Amino acid sequence: MDWLFSFPHMDDASLRDLKKAIDEGFRGFTRAYGDGLEAIFEPLQHFLIWSERFMTQTPWPIILLLIAAVAWFASRNWKIVAGTVVTLLLIGYFDMWDDTMKTVSMIFVCTVLSIVVGIPIGIAMSRSDRVQNIVNPVLDVMQTMPSFVYLIPVVMLLGIGKVPGLIAVVIYAIPPMIRLTNLGIRLVDKDVLEAADAFGSSNWQKLKNVQMPLALPTIMAGTNQTIMMALAMVVIASMIGVQGLGQPVLKAISNQYFTLGIFNGLAIVGIAIIFDRVSQAFGARLQKHREVVHG
Amino acid sequence: MKELFASTCLAAAMLTFGNAAQAANCGDVTIASMNWQSAEVLASLDKFILNEGYGCNAEIIQGDTVPTITSMTEKGQPDIAPEGWVDLLPDVVNAGVANGKLVVASTVLTDGAVQGWWMPKYLADAHPDVKTIDDVLKHPELFPDPEDKSKGAIHNGPQGWGGTVVTSQLYKAYGGEAANFTLVDTGSAAGLDGSIAKAYERKEGWVGYYWAPTALLGKYDMVKLDYGVPYDAAEWKRCNTVADCPDPKKNEWPKDTVQTLVTKAFSERAGEDVMGYLNKRAWSNDTVNKLMAWMTDNQASGDDGAKHFLEENEAMWKEWVSPEAAEKIKAAL
Repeated sequence: MDWLFSFPHMDDASLRDLKKAIDEGFRGFTRAYGDGLEAIFEPLQHFLIWSERFMTQTPWPIILLLIAAVAWFASRNWKIVAGTVVTLLLIGYFDMWDDTMKTVSMIFVCTVLSIVVGIPIGIAMSRSDRVQNIVNPVLDVMQTMPSFVYLIPVVMLLGIGKVPGLIAVVIYAIPPMIRLTNLGIRLVDKDVLEAADAFGSSNWQKLKNVQMPLALPTIMAGTNQTIMMALAMVVIASMIGVQGLGQPVLKAISNQYFTLGIFNGLAIVGIAIIFDRVSQAFGARLQKHREVVHG
Repeated sequence: MKELFASTCLAAAMLTFGNAAQAANCGDVTIASMNWQSAEVLASLDKFILNEGYGCNAEIIQGDTVPTITSMTEKGQPDIAPEGWVDLLPDVVNAGVANGKLVVASTVLTDGAVQGWWMPKYLADAHPDVKTIDDVLKHPELFPDPEDKSKGAIHNGPQGWGGTVVTSQLYKAYGGEAANFTLVDTGSAAGLDGSIAKAYERKEGWVGYYWAPTALLGKYDMVKLDYGVPYDAAEWKRCNTVADCPDPKKNEWPKDTVQTLVTKAFSERAGEDVMGYLNKRAWSNDTVNKLMAWMTDNQASGDDGAKHFLEENEAMWKEWVSPEAAEKIKAAL
């Protein structure tokens, strides 16, 4: 009756051999292709380093003005601009400017990358059920797999630092972008598409002039979620050597420095709110603009 | 929580074994296994040798350093702590020895537990002139920072470790910044291990904080750097271990003493043979590193590790035990 109470499992020796074989295989892969893969990611790393240097080495008043200007052009709302400036001044006053700029630079690159990669995948998913059936489980894995499970192999391949951090953040942050692009396009009214067909639109025209504009509110929600999830990954990314606000948070956790933890945690919340309000306002303005054209 | 669990285990073990074991020879013995690999395999080894070689009835119980040693001085249980990090609680150990509750047996890790700055062996072989921290700081090109190839990188441990603070202070003391080196925060134990594994698999330059005995150092051969100065205990306490201290000086990283602790009661009833074994049994970090690397590679338990050690290192353990016991152990394998 023994088999009833302990689940019949693969015998220990073969299980160990299997694990060893996979580990060895991965190590062999690292040795053989690690350098090549690193070379592929080199431009990305340069971009990340350049972006961080720009944010940290430019005099702070210029960066502050720049961020305020971006906030103004995106939102055209002086309240949002004032809130942004005050938040940044407070962050700077509490001596978190450098770390915050490093985090902003990282989040910015991650968000751009997620949008650039995510939207085409979302479009492809919306056009074919087969693609959707393949991509959906992949997205499930990306969202639920504990980060450290794939971070250690990534560190073995690319070393510690910005690029593995970027990969970790993008893996976690890109699914809402893809899912909501897909959903937005699929939710476009069939009658509208029929009308576009009747006017003789090509597929590209339909996508560019009908589906994307109508899906825009959903896509903007996706962008917003992507930014928020990227910020949530800041602390995890700092566990593989990404600099920024995550490191003081880790330090605070391991030393029980409550104040340090709360300050840096609030700084993360602060920039999250800035990113959120500015991108929301931009999205809203974008749609208003479209309505005027159609109206 | 872990400590609570450990003390619960201890309490349970005491109920079970506390009153037994007045029999001739050694009878029932409790051996404390700690929750890290080297202590686990050592406890398994002691259990195997005592059971097979000396006819004891040894049992392993789980514990952690502080609750185990405290319980040994207060309650006289468990009987043996094979890997006691006595520097962690010198007061308890000294008081225990003074009051006749504890007996210190062998210094089981002959090299002590070593922390410091390490570099890969292949690099040391290729550049035999690089031996000390000062030598390393002369060659930033050998240890390139992945994010800025013009600089060298020293890999630090994660925030919150004692070793991380010391590494930062040594970086200051040896003038790392002036030597064009950056201090890389690896963020976590996994990040630190990963950076070593990556460098090693591709034979790249690496220098940074690590410690022995560990499975990683068994798998990847590393060389510890010299400090170029003798150990200065007062300076060490004043500045090298204090995170905010502004003017650290060059200093050597002291070793932690790791000894086998035995309760006085057990040492009296166990007999000369058993105590002779416990007084002699000791191994170098190199041996432990290799053994742990084998265990990690084979995902082996402490018992498997102990058996593997006994099979592979007969010459070493024969020195520790009496000839009759050696025969019995050999037969049991």
